[in-house]
Amino acid sequence: MTSFHLGPDKRATLDEAAALVQDGGTVALGGGLCARLPMALVRALVRAGRRDLHLVGSAHSIDVDLLIGAGAVKVCEESYVGFEQDLGLAPAFRRAAESQAIEVRESCCVTVLAQLRAAEMGVPFLPVRGVKGTDVEALHPEYGRVTCPFTGDELVVVPPLVPDVALVHAPVGDAAGNLHLDQPYVLDERFAHASRMVVATVDRLVDTAEVAAAGVTIPAHTVAAVVEAPFGAHPSSCYPGYAYDRRHLAAYVAAAGGDGLAAYLERYVHPGEDAYRAEIDTARITSWSESDEAWQELFR
Amino acid sequence: MSAVWTLDEWFVVALARTIRDREVVFHGFASPCAQVAMHVAKRTHAPESLLVEGATYAIDPAPVFVPPTSNDLALHRDAVYRMRFEEFFDAACRGAVDRMFLSGGQIDGHGNTNVTAIGGMPQPKIKLGGGGGGCNISATIGALTVWTTRHRSGRTLVPRVDFLTDIGHRTPEGDRVQLGYPGGGPEWLVTELGVFDYAGGHARLRALFPDVTLDDVAAATRFDLRVELDPGLLAPPSAAELAAVRALDPLRVRHQEFGPDELKREFSAADLPA
Repeated sequence: MTSFHLGPDKRATLDEAAALVQDGGTVALGGGLCARLPMALVRALVRAGRRDLHLVGSAHSIDVDLLIGAGAVKVCEESYVGFEQDLGLAPAFRRAAESQAIEVRESCCVTVLAQLRAAEMGVPFLPVRGVKGTDVEALHPEYGRVTCPFTGDELVVVPPLVPDVALVHAPVGDAAGNLHLDQPYVLDERFAHASRMVVATVDRLVDTAEVAAAGVTIPAHTVAAVVEAPFGAHPSSCYPGYAYDRRHLAAYVAAAGGDGLAAYLERYVHPGEDAYRAEIDTARITSWSESDEAWQELFR
Repeated sequence: MSAVWTLDEWFVVALARTIRDREVVFHGFASPCAQVAMHVAKRTHAPESLLVEGATYAIDPAPVFVPPTSNDLALHRDAVYRMRFEEFFDAACRGAVDRMFLSGGQIDGHGNTNVTAIGGMPQPKIKLGGGGGGCNISATIGALTVWTTRHRSGRTLVPRVDFLTDIGHRTPEGDRVQLGYPGGGPEWLVTELGVFDYAGGHARLRALFPDVTLDDVAAATRFDLRVELDPGLLAPPSAAELAAVRALDPLRVRHQEFGPDELKREFSAADLPA
């Protein structure tokens, strides 16, 4: 059962926040594709040497790939892991899947949504419309089938999904953990209500009045810890602050696709977030708002 | 008509023409050609279509430009409304979405696609990215426009997919009626060589690009090749269609889907048969 998280001040350090994730835990990653990924927490988990994580979520990229490359993952239950047509297949994910170093329980955005809703509602299963006839079903011995008592239709049914922790990055939040996100929220709201706890990073910690004025997307009572981590989603975007860092992502994919992952971790992850921010080109990724031409230039 | 146009431009226009006016249309991520095509249709023959913009779930946005990543503010900055994730997928599952664009590393004759793993699971030879929401919403969305830019490789249009991620007209467990699926399944397959429909639930070649022969298609197609050509189906792009492609995609993100030789293909009105 989930329970609410009470108290006015849940501010924590990144190390304290990472300690809320246990080895072997089920971890939901917020954001989607290359937007608003909880990268500062991902880097903290790598520094903490987490092992055997079970990742769940929708369509993701460097967050999942970096955790797999660092040896932190046992099971990957995402609906997609990759860098789209721009930078291609996710190198560490692909290598680990092909060598069976991780178990890939590929899922579907709709199925994950149904499982989170079952958890939120406190029901033992929910049906999904599709999946039947695909090979995805065979990757999931935990799924079942039922015959609908009203229509006679045979439907695939899926059990509740209760992540131990949901990692979420927000542009702003307050000390109690109220978070404001810009759309798309992807699955973050569902993760917040279905998980045992949200562990959050924010680009800026602000007072409650400012979060309330912007609109609370994820309420404080779902949040166990909040950490101020400027550029905490980098190299993914977190508008209105900063855009997709295409150069950094391309360098990561090249490193992870060859034998450069250890050097990447040594340069960007192990020294910590202060050192990380000093390494990245923050002026460039915040220039998107100067003009449409400047914005477009970031993608060339 | 513009004097000269390229294969990638014509390909996007061919995808756009599969959209009817007043349809509700969606594309997934990693789909630059489909993404541009939706906006081309909206600006030309399908002004009252309702577009759900990929991974942002924005309704009818006018992109500042098409960026190479699908969850980006440049796609939806000026949108009036954005669906929530669950709002879109619920609509797709209950049959309120008319068309989705879908591709795959492998596509069989029934239109089943594999975006999970070449060589299958749990021992993939090549682990692909994964299916997103496809294994549910391919069952329920009204019609599917399937596309590939890798037909010529001979590895894409296969007799049997190594892993069945998204549902075509018939799976080993049965057809759509037997599976209880309300969606109509694949309606068109557009490749860099030509256009297929799915009469009787199996791909059937209807048109070739003018620099492609039937032998080229036969050599590249590993499922049973059925042919009933209707050359009118691949009419050259109009000036308005080409202008829309070029204005929407100044970064030429669509090029990311094509091999270098395909990007060299050029056409002009003078080259076309009378």
